[in-house]
Amino acid sequence: MKESATKRPLIEIRGIHKKFGSKTVHKGIDLDVYEGEVLALMGGSGCGKSVLLRMIVGLEKPDRGTIHFNGHSIEKLSEEELVPVRKKIAYVFQYGALFDSFSVRENLAYPLREHTNFSEKEIEQKVLTTLDQLGLKGTENLYPSGLSGGMQRRVGVARSIIMNPEVVLYDEPTTGLDPFNTAQILKIILKLKQQGTTSVLVTHDMHAIFSVTDRVAFLKDGQILALGTAEEIKNSKVKEVSSFIHGEAY
Amino acid sequence: MDKAKKLFFVGFENSWVILREFLEFLGGSANLLHASVLALFRRPFYFRLLIEQCYILGVKSSSIVFITALSTGMVMSLQFGFGLERFGGKLYVPKVVGLSIMRELGPVLSCLMIAARVGAGIAAELGSMNVTQQIDAIRALGTDPLKRLVIPRLLALLIMTPLLTVFADLVGIFGGMFISNAELFIHPDFYYHEAILSLKTSDFLVGIMKTALFGLLIALTGCYYGLKTEGGTQGVGQATTKSVVTSSLLIVVSDFVMTKLFWIFERK
Repeated sequence: MKESATKRPLIEIRGIHKKFGSKTVHKGIDLDVYEGEVLALMGGSGCGKSVLLRMIVGLEKPDRGTIHFNGHSIEKLSEEELVPVRKKIAYVFQYGALFDSFSVRENLAYPLREHTNFSEKEIEQKVLTTLDQLGLKGTENLYPSGLSGGMQRRVGVARSIIMNPEVVLYDEPTTGLDPFNTAQILKIILKLKQQGTTSVLVTHDMHAIFSVTDRVAFLKDGQILALGTAEEIKNSKVKEVSSFIHGEAY
Repeated sequence: MDKAKKLFFVGFENSWVILREFLEFLGGSANLLHASVLALFRRPFYFRLLIEQCYILGVKSSSIVFITALSTGMVMSLQFGFGLERFGGKLYVPKVVGLSIMRELGPVLSCLMIAARVGAGIAAELGSMNVTQQIDAIRALGTDPLKRLVIPRLLALLIMTPLLTVFADLVGIFGGMFISNAELFIHPDFYYHEAILSLKTSDFLVGIMKTALFGLLIALTGCYYGLKTEGGTQGVGQATTKSVVTSSLLIVVSDFVMTKLFWIFERK
């Protein structure tokens, strides 16, 4: 918390309300994400963690409230106006969301071809370097259907970080993965943190939360019930939070 | 009495659901078309994707269009030949076959086959991409699904359906010529003269203009249902079915409306 207090918020979320039909998902969420930190969003299924994450990158629009990125309001931007924001905020989908008709090489080259003037040689070099960083050397000619679930997630991460974004949003990056792939993903998050990249994770994985995050926000009933450092949340006296962490029914 | 009442209400409810879905489709596809037209003039332009779709949606449909047109021309020749022979009108077969293929059967049957093959393909492809979050990924990576997925398909069908129809017209007339010669003993020179040379430019243009609209309807319907898909593989199946049924019905209904309109203009 001390560290966060000295840094400026990169993402400021204020008074977010969201409803899907008759289901209220958010009832006034306020949250700051500080530059360079790793923040985890935690809470029961259906509490709106992923929706909040999607709002940060403009994939969902809030009914009410504001979202500022780098001091600029982004909640009302059109798809076209969101392009510069999306170059800076990368989104890692839960199951990778790789383009299944593209090879791994083409998946990674996609954002570079769309947003840079790199030559094909430079793109190839960047793709191979990024794959190597993620322990995916030799997979460039494979198609997503030929990859394991863990490898697909890592390729998804590789595609998201290839443009060197300022913020990476991870939607349940380690859910359902074996310990090896989980460790690989956590290693990437930590490596990016060391390079100064801000990360926001939606996760239920307690090991992930307590090994890589600086702060944790616990969502319940459309609001943030608890917010603090990983240690503070671990030792929280709030019944719902401690029950969730220790896997007890409440 | 209670049973009758219940049946009436169930029938009423079903009709309301169908009407509501149709109105949703009209509004949604009009929005999609409007957004696509606006996006068409914004950079970047994906010419490579357009060429790719022209090949996938158009060139690859040529074999089914060929078989359909050939069979239609041959059947028409046989039916009219045996029918008109009774009244001594066998020599009118080339004219009737040529005119009906050029104005109606070539455009409509080709586009119905394209709707079945391509409309289903578009809905299934976009639907699968939607349920596996690939369309969200396109957006999250700072690109526009309309520009990458919808516009190339709309333009490809707008270009390729008239071309396929010209191909279908020629094949159909050739099929009719073959059967006329083999079964009705009409000489190919006479057939060619009667079937092709007696046709007016307007007969050809009417068919071609119709198919441009049919192509647009097939692409728009496929894209609309594909992008609206939800609920996993079952949703993809439903989107595919809806796309084929809706685009086929639209082709048949709009064919009548356009034929009537052309008829009014041509009489003036």
